[in-house]
Amino acid sequence: MKPIDPRVHQALDREIAREGLPPELALQVARLEAAAAVLGTAVSQWAGGSVEARVMAAIRRPAPSRMWRLARWLAAPHSVTLRIRPAWSLALAAAVALVTLLPAGDETPSVGEQEGIAQFVARFPGANSVHVAGSFNDWRSGTIPLRDADHDGVWRAAVVLPAGAYEYMFVVDGERWVPDHLADRTVEDDFGRENSVVIVRPAAR
Amino acid sequence: MRLWFGLALLTGPLAAQSVRVRLEGRVPAAAMAIVDSLVQQATQEDLPTEPLVQKALEGGAKHVSAGRIVAAVQLRLVQMRDARTLLVRAGHGPFTAAEVMAVSGTLKRGVPGPVVERLVVALPNESRGSALHAEADLVAHGFDPDSSAGLLVEATRRSLRGGRLLDVSAAVLHALQRGHTRPEALALVRLQLPNVPPAPKPPKASVAGARRPGASSGATPQP
Repeated sequence: MKPIDPRVHQALDREIAREGLPPELALQVARLEAAAAVLGTAVSQWAGGSVEARVMAAIRRPAPSRMWRLARWLAAPHSVTLRIRPAWSLALAAAVALVTLLPAGDETPSVGEQEGIAQFVARFPGANSVHVAGSFNDWRSGTIPLRDADHDGVWRAAVVLPAGAYEYMFVVDGERWVPDHLADRTVEDDFGRENSVVIVRPAAR
Repeated sequence: MRLWFGLALLTGPLAAQSVRVRLEGRVPAAAMAIVDSLVQQATQEDLPTEPLVQKALEGGAKHVSAGRIVAAVQLRLVQMRDARTLLVRAGHGPFTAAEVMAVSGTLKRGVPGPVVERLVVALPNESRGSALHAEADLVAHGFDPDSSAGLLVEATRRSLRGGRLLDVSAAVLHALQRGHTRPEALALVRLQLPNVPPAPKPPKASVAGARRPGASSGATPQP
């Protein structure tokens, strides 16, 4: 860009008379004054209203909503300082790995529309093991254990079964077949004893 | 046609083989052949075979002698024949294995044949199994079979269906426990119909950890 001659500045500031300028500089001064006049007109037009009009114009402009400000805040870059203690980080990673990798032992399985849950509760103080065997597991005595978590002699199990009626007995310590004394129903087992009967109703009733 | 005939020829021996596999090592060898032939008889008579297999497995698990196992399986076969005869007499069209088993179980629990027949005739398919269980529950507690069957038929007429009929018998037994006589308990619940309280659902905490049985298929589904 061509630098402006200092005499032009002086002439524009009226420090020297423009008549004393060479013709090309006088032409520059004339052009600059014309440009200043155009700019002055634009500014005076913009700022030409009253103070009241300008204040009202500012008030009418809607303030940005909270959501808009939140969105702008979320969209704008922010600097985040992360300070890590290695010991805590390792402990956290180990906990996440345990939760992810270990099978959830006590999770209730999903129950289908035509399935229900049979609950077995029996009191056998001093027993080492209690299982339930019946027509739902081909009378296998070791497949469904009852648990006595608090060692009070009350053994419990919950089993997901298709809706229906089932005969069963408890097997105590792997050898003693005992009917469920709390059962609502019993039926002769045709071997000289009585089986207990449980009716499983669909969960989605 | 040939395909169906071929499949029919194949499925019989395959089913028999699968029964033998299930019984092998779990039932005394002396009982195996007779139990197997009883299962085949049931198949030929179009009766359910699962109750026979279950009875044999039960006897084996309880270390019962071979002779007693055979006798129990034979008795079960006779009971299912009786159940089928009753269903035919009641004019009930083609019936399912579950219905034969439900009728058989109800007769076994002491409900008189004519009362079972009355319920079979009066009740729709989806309510029959539950109604038979409910009737057997009431009879087991000393209720008059005819009166309790009448209550169940009335409950069905008042639009109670399926497992809700078990709520009817439970309500009657509850009234009995509260000190009412048997006729009073029946009359009281009859007045409540159809608003008998539903059985409570098991609380979430008590069913946490519920599991499925590991072994297969001994289910005797309710009709």
